[in-house]
Amino acid sequence: MKLVIDENRCKGCNLCTLVCPYRIFRPGTRANRKGVLVPELDRPERCTNCRLQGLYGRTLCGVCQLTCPDQAIGWVRERPYEPAKIEVEY
Amino acid sequence: MSFADWLRADRLPHIWCSGCSNGTILNCTLAAVEAEGWDPDRTVFVSGIGCSSRAPGYISTDSLHTTHGRALAFATGVKLADPSLNVVVFTGDGDLAAIGGNHFIHACRRNIDLTVVCMNNLIYGMTGGQGSPTTPIGALSTTTPYGASEPAFDLVALAVAAGANHVARWTAYHVRELERAVQTGLETPGLSFIEVRAGCPTNYGRKNRLREVTDLAEYFRTKSMLKAKFDRLVAEGRPVPSDAIVVGEFVRRSNPAMGVVP
Amino acid sequence: MQGNTASAEGAIAAGCRFFGGYPITPSTEVAEAMARRMPKIGGVFVQMEDEIASIAAVIGASWTGKKAMTSTSGPGFSLMLENIGFALMTETPLVIVNVQRGGPSTGQPTMSAQGDMLQCRFGSHGDMAVIALAPDSVQEMYDLTVKAFNLAERFRCPAFLMADEIIGHMRERIELPDHVDVVDRRPLESGHLPYEAGEDGVPGFPVFGTGHRVHVTGLTHDERGYPVTTDPVLHEALVRRLVGKVENARREIADYRVTNPDAEVVFVCYGSPARAVQQVVADHPDLGLGILRLRLVWPFPEHALAEFPNARVFLVPEQNLGQVAREVERHVLVPVVSVPKLGGELHTPAELLRAIEEARSR
Ligand SMILES: Cc1ncc(C[n+]2csc(CCOP(=O)(O)OP(=O)(O)O)c2C)c(N)n1
Ligand code: SF4
Ligand code: SF4
Repeated sequence: MKLVIDENRCKGCNLCTLVCPYRIFRPGTRANRKGVLVPELDRPERCTNCRLQGLYGRTLCGVCQLTCPDQAIGWVRERPYEPAKIEVEY
Repeated sequence: MSFADWLRADRLPHIWCSGCSNGTILNCTLAAVEAEGWDPDRTVFVSGIGCSSRAPGYISTDSLHTTHGRALAFATGVKLADPSLNVVVFTGDGDLAAIGGNHFIHACRRNIDLTVVCMNNLIYGMTGGQGSPTTPIGALSTTTPYGASEPAFDLVALAVAAGANHVARWTAYHVRELERAVQTGLETPGLSFIEVRAGCPTNYGRKNRLREVTDLAEYFRTKSMLKAKFDRLVAEGRPVPSDAIVVGEFVRRSNPAMGVVP
Repeated sequence: MQGNTASAEGAIAAGCRFFGGYPITPSTEVAEAMARRMPKIGGVFVQMEDEIASIAAVIGASWTGKKAMTSTSGPGFSLMLENIGFALMTETPLVIVNVQRGGPSTGQPTMSAQGDMLQCRFGSHGDMAVIALAPDSVQEMYDLTVKAFNLAERFRCPAFLMADEIIGHMRERIELPDHVDVVDRRPLESGHLPYEAGEDGVPGFPVFGTGHRVHVTGLTHDERGYPVTTDPVLHEALVRRLVGKVENARREIADYRVTNPDAEVVFVCYGSPARAVQQVVADHPDLGLGILRLRLVWPFPEHALAEFPNARVFLVPEQNLGQVAREVERHVLVPVVSVPKLGGELHTPAELLRAIEEARSR
């Protein structure tokens, strides 16, 4: 799963930067088309839900999504299984 | 499914200001109805007038956005006429406690099977920041330019005294706790009242030294005190900060209720 | 049977299964009858905390598909006005029985009046068209309550039974029909938007809980029911449709009784004053008097006035200072004389005869 911010909905309140336990959200620095400073994502692959939702079949953590007053945070399915990209650590 | 599936995606983004707690409280309430497994086709959201009362318009169920203060009276009609419907009410502090105060205590007295989520931002948001019955003494608003001088309502105490079966208070910072409290409310026969301390950065924050949205969140985090701790301090005769927001469940009981499916 | 009880029975016959109300003289017996009857027929009676809550609960109940009613009198009616506008805007069918008493304010709780006729027509804010009936007998308390429900359901709007204390508290023998014609609300067909109106200007009704997921708001809304509050074109179209659906049916739903259409002196009356008028006309056949008795006052059936081609003067006896007389005046070229009677009693024959005398000598 991949964490995404819907730029059409985000109003740049920065509440997500406060609540994520991994501090994945960083206050945005560049205004988008609507003049909103949408937060930037810092290594979003660390997000619990990104890593484990598939395994558990339900939303894990999800506190940023619940907190976001603008319903701007969600997860999208990543491109299907691409074996070349997988690194297995023994 | 997740709570996001309950939203009317074609109506988003919503009208609320950046950082307004109403959106968060909407999420938590929808997460609770989703966790409860309610059928969107059999669930009705009712509200009065105010920023908070716009919430039902963003939910993909039947919804009734009524007149200022009267949400509970409308909801009483819906629930008594068809008790098989699940009914949730969104209201604001002005809507519920000022113009709708009488309906509030009577809905609690009837203990009608509703879940009432009050987005208490301590101010009239929609009309531009006038004082409300919950504005704390000293707080600035456009109608209390020298600081509010009237004592404020304790909505939770009011609901408990008036007879509601389940009463809780949380803040918009406590998303998981809030979701669980709403879920308990949905499960409790009779009236469930959940006061949620909400941030209105535009009209309350700006005037009361909580300018940044994140300041408001910090405020809720640091000023909140669990009811258990509050009770302990009181029992031990120790001082409690006057601006503490006491959060938790205040009552859960099973007094006779109206509008419950027989 | 008493008039107020007859109204309750008429409501039940029309299919009413929800009553929300608050006690007020002289309408209380309607609520009391409903409190006795509703639980026995699977309906709901609830005594609300005030009249604002009463009509709110009735509107809420109506959205679950139930036929719903409240009853009140002047002070309570004043409290209901905001939500009457809400019902008009959201196109919620319901019936309000107003057993009128003397006003302004608390006025004369136990005395008759017709002082709320313009309040029901124009009282809520904004432009509107309403349906109001006025019974002149206990039988009509029954019949016109049924009719009020049928019109409310058909046009999806509040309908008023504008009774008065005299009729509400009168006791008469009435005939309860074995069968009453009942109109049920047309459900919203799937594939239609919730506020997409048919040719008659009335949209189908999306009952709560049946999967339509409709948003109902008192804000100006589009056909989906979504608020659109700053589009002048949309707002005008909506208000014109709401007014038009009732006004365009003015002729079709008109309900009046004509006596002696050749008359030169014609009474226009409704409610309890009609009884005094009928007495005087019956007692003085030599005077060649005519009567236009309105059973439905709003929308005003102006074409009915043309049923009296020889009319030289219209006399309008009312228990108010001329609220409907003013409306009559707008539609005729001959003189219109208001015959007001305040204080709660019926016009006496002598008073009506004096009015006839004065009108003739004009
Ligand atoms: C009868 C009536 N009086 C006044 C208003 C104007 N009004 C609209 S919203 C509002 C206050 C809302 O405050 P609150 O309930 O606290 O909700 P918030 O906007 O803060 O969420 C008022 C007074 C109205 N719409 N109707
Ligand atoms: S919480 Fe939501 S609206 Fe606020 S900055 Fe983050 S993504 Fe944007
Ligand atoms: S005015 Fe306040 S309550 Fe209203 S949307 Fe803005 S922040 Fe929220």
